[in-house]
Amino acid sequence: MSACAHPIPWAILVDYWAGALTVPETDQVDEHLFGCGACTAASARVASVTETARQILPPALSRARLDSLRAGGLRVRENAFSPGERRTVGFDGGVDLLIHRLAGLDLAGADHVSLQVLVESTGERLFALDHVPFERDEGAVLIACQRHFASLPPDTRFEVTVHAATVTNVAYTILHQFPA
Amino acid sequence: MDAPDGELIRTIAAGGPDGPRAEAELCRRFAPRIYLYGRRHLRDEDRARDLVQAVLLAVLQAARAGRVTEPDHADRFMLGTCRNLASRVRATEARHAGEGGLEALEAIESAPPWDGVDAGALIRCLGTLDERSRQIVMLTFQEDCETDVIAARLTMTSGNVRVTRHRAVASLRRCLDARPLQQERPQ
Repeated sequence: MSACAHPIPWAILVDYWAGALTVPETDQVDEHLFGCGACTAASARVASVTETARQILPPALSRARLDSLRAGGLRVRENAFSPGERRTVGFDGGVDLLIHRLAGLDLAGADHVSLQVLVESTGERLFALDHVPFERDEGAVLIACQRHFASLPPDTRFEVTVHAATVTNVAYTILHQFPA
Repeated sequence: MDAPDGELIRTIAAGGPDGPRAEAELCRRFAPRIYLYGRRHLRDEDRARDLVQAVLLAVLQAARAGRVTEPDHADRFMLGTCRNLASRVRATEARHAGEGGLEALEAIESAPPWDGVDAGALIRCLGTLDERSRQIVMLTFQEDCETDVIAARLTMTSGNVRVTRHRAVASLRRCLDARPLQQERPQ
């Protein structure tokens, strides 16, 4: 593959994949990419991140978002967990999305809720989110577990912190079984 | 085969024994570009795969019939065909794949021109970003929010959103590259 005399800058390629360019700018990038193998390779490196990110649902979903996913044809199964519970759940065939319903939370006076996900066996923190959607009336946080989470460690500890007049921490341990 | 695009088109049009090799090379060269175009503009993996097949089919048929009027600008012909078919796909959701008879298409892998990025690895890499960068990535690519909307929501300027997003995607790419099993497929 020959080098490009005027490579498209990374920032422009990110804008291109983010849909943040004008139509004429997008056309210009398309024209360059069709004539340039080197920039096509660079564009693929950006796309590998952005288009994979599009496949991922946020770790926590609102009930409204979940309803719209169901309405769109996604096959969803919900598992309810009580505070402190540690249990195995299986990701069976015929299900597109598992919802771990972290229930038993007192969210009546909650200002916001944060979530931390850890690997139980190693303590590795997978991610921490400061503000996640929560269902005040249900007293629950809905965790979206997608099939591609199979590449993550199966033993996960979800720590929910409810920020109200006082701060409350509640943990749930979920052991995942994905089909081989 | 390192021949320029124009030479490949002329070889195909000549209909000689080198035609099939030229067709295969043209497909190998342009399939990733068409696929990426499809992913960007149709936002769907299956449609992007279909677009690769449909565009290559149309271009090879045109090349065989000597209808590519400027062989040295095959890339423009390819892009023009892409734009036409993509807009038709958008309008009708029609599928053209499998309309057959061109062996070169059978060997074309219209899978993404990258592999090794599994979503689990990306989730871990997202966990290494600062809160604001992660929010911008998620709002852009998961919620399809426009830059101005993100800027308003996070009380930033649009320019800052874009710069933060450029850096965040670069940081994610580096994080994925550092993982041992991640390997890009050569173009």
